[in-house]
Amino acid sequence: MIWKTAWKNVWRNRVRSLVVIASVTIGIFGGVFAVAVMNGAIEQRVDSALNNEISHIHINHPGFRDNYDIHLTIPDLDSVMGQLDETAEVKAVSPRIIISGMANTASKSAGVQIVGIDPSLEKSVVDLHEEIIPGTGDFFETASRYHLAFIGQDLAKQLNIIRYVIDEQTISELRESKIPEATVEKLVPFTGERFHSEEDFEKEVKAVLAPGELEQYGRLIREKAWSFSERTRMTLTFLDGDQVQTGAVFRIAGIFDIKNTVFEMSTVMVKKDVLAGLAGLTENDAHKLIIRLEDMEQAKAVSSLLSKKFPHLEVLGWKEIQPDLALMTDLVQQFYAVFMLIILAALAFGIVNTMLMVVLERTKELGMLTAIGMNKKRVFSMIMLESVFLSLIGGVVGMIVSHVLVLFTSSRGINFSQFEEGFEAMGYTSHIYPEINPGFFITVTILIILTGILSSVYPALKALKLDPAEALRTE
Amino acid sequence: MKILEIKNVHKIYNSSEVQVHAVNGVNLDFEKGEFSAIVGPSGSGKTTLLNMIGGLDSPTEGEIRVDQTNLAGLKSSRLIDFRMRHIGFVFQSYNLIPVLTAKENVEFIMNLQKWNKRERDKRTYELLEAVGLKDRAHSRPSKLSGGQQQRIAVARALASKPKFVLADEPTANLDTKSSENLLNIMEELNREEGITFIFSTHDQRVMKKARRVITLEDGRVISDEWKKKNGSS
Repeated sequence: MIWKTAWKNVWRNRVRSLVVIASVTIGIFGGVFAVAVMNGAIEQRVDSALNNEISHIHINHPGFRDNYDIHLTIPDLDSVMGQLDETAEVKAVSPRIIISGMANTASKSAGVQIVGIDPSLEKSVVDLHEEIIPGTGDFFETASRYHLAFIGQDLAKQLNIIRYVIDEQTISELRESKIPEATVEKLVPFTGERFHSEEDFEKEVKAVLAPGELEQYGRLIREKAWSFSERTRMTLTFLDGDQVQTGAVFRIAGIFDIKNTVFEMSTVMVKKDVLAGLAGLTENDAHKLIIRLEDMEQAKAVSSLLSKKFPHLEVLGWKEIQPDLALMTDLVQQFYAVFMLIILAALAFGIVNTMLMVVLERTKELGMLTAIGMNKKRVFSMIMLESVFLSLIGGVVGMIVSHVLVLFTSSRGINFSQFEEGFEAMGYTSHIYPEINPGFFITVTILIILTGILSSVYPALKALKLDPAEALRTE
Repeated sequence: MKILEIKNVHKIYNSSEVQVHAVNGVNLDFEKGEFSAIVGPSGSGKTTLLNMIGGLDSPTEGEIRVDQTNLAGLKSSRLIDFRMRHIGFVFQSYNLIPVLTAKENVEFIMNLQKWNKRERDKRTYELLEAVGLKDRAHSRPSKLSGGQQQRIAVARALASKPKFVLADEPTANLDTKSSENLLNIMEELNREEGITFIFSTHDQRVMKKARRVITLEDGRVISDEWKKKNGSS
């Protein structure tokens, strides 16, 4: 009876209840969806870091990371690799030679980390070969009589390997796309021009286009003007084992894009045997072993197992290799909790206010109920249930709406291309696929019920303090 | 058989400036089956006295015993339970729960007392029939007239088979026809089922129907008259 009466009481003032329910719905939807977007971005970042950049575990000489000394290779590499092959949790191993150096083109240069890899083994530990920009080449698959280098898009832009060109073909492609003729006409005067950097190109285009046009079509214009010459030359220079400057001319094998400016700017991959030859190392030398596990969750356990197995080497799990990522994944859970608690606290104040009004409006009725024999426990329960019903309806509707929207956007993703540069500078992609853990929904449901209960305490206590004789006299 | 004893009851309200002696040394006994009215002008103390009889307020001095139980000796929670089981209330402004139907209002107390559904339904329909509103069982109070709402309030007051029903100005908001109808129903319930009714009123029609009229003035009983069977004093 108390449940039934409380439920009916919720609908006594429909408009007011619907306003409260709507505010809870919007609050929960906003919170859950924002968490889903943040979670999606972080999951994508972790996936990208593990799949394209670092894999799961690294093994190196204990002193190597201090100053990347070329001599600090892994001793007895064959034996270590043999033991790793016998470790069940290890899916694949790839040895790398890593040397700091400079990449130079005719006009520009940049400091880079030259990574010598065995392409077939490398493919089994990271998926960088799948991130090639179409039309820029391949991952060392095509045989060449030249030395080849695999570089990131941002480095290619920095070294002017990627240029921006507006020619007749660009203009005709723009005309065929959805861009209005008037906008294309503004670009026609640039026909035949080459821009040496993305900044130069954007500066010129910005000068002729209206801000609205730039916002709407800027990305497409940039894509159409993007120009790359296959097998462009680049020189890599570095100090060999005898501290003598050495280097060679490399041709671009392919360009990758993983939406991470720092990694793209700093990484140049070349074949390990070529780099070993240039640096005075042997083919059996490696500075690092990159290990892929069957399951990333095993990283901590396996790295501790391998540390015992190879006490003379440094073994690092992905959280130690990239502590910022580890901090982010661990900290973000607490951030979500605080974020949701703030939203729920704001909702709680709304509910408290509504329930106080309810108690005030129904003073006479509550007095009557106490007079005819409804005890304090039941009065308290009735007020509490009304508050729980209000918050629960709003919460459930909010979660259904967020769940539907998360499902919808998790397959299509949300494009934040206007913030692309900022996202990529931090290693995040601007096309985010929201994602949420089912456990989060359960936690939020429990928190909503708790919010309803807590929000009812003060109004319910007010109701309990009513003197029935006095309450009955109110009009 | 005495079901209610009021012994030297005083009620004094102290405000910061004045002291109001609302009930001043009242002594009364009520027998089972009475149909009595407490009358008097506004401020005479009749509602205060009725509230104390119903355990909604406590005397400053003196004692009120319902079937030998001293109400002042009961803790708050026991007192609420005592009211639920032994005292029926009818209020001036009906005070039905607006979101519940007539039937749900009548069975509300039985639900609190955890009656089983069959017995509850049986009793509810008996009472609705007694007040002539069985056909309006599923109507909400807002769909009923004032007189009908007050009849539902009477049915609710009788639901838990109380020792007596306290009716505070039950006809004050009703027109003549509805008042007559309500009083006839209560009189019939009193006559045929022996239910004790104690009214507080200044309605002449109630005074006329009552078999005992207790008059209060300035918190004191100034007369306590029993009528003869033909209705005269």
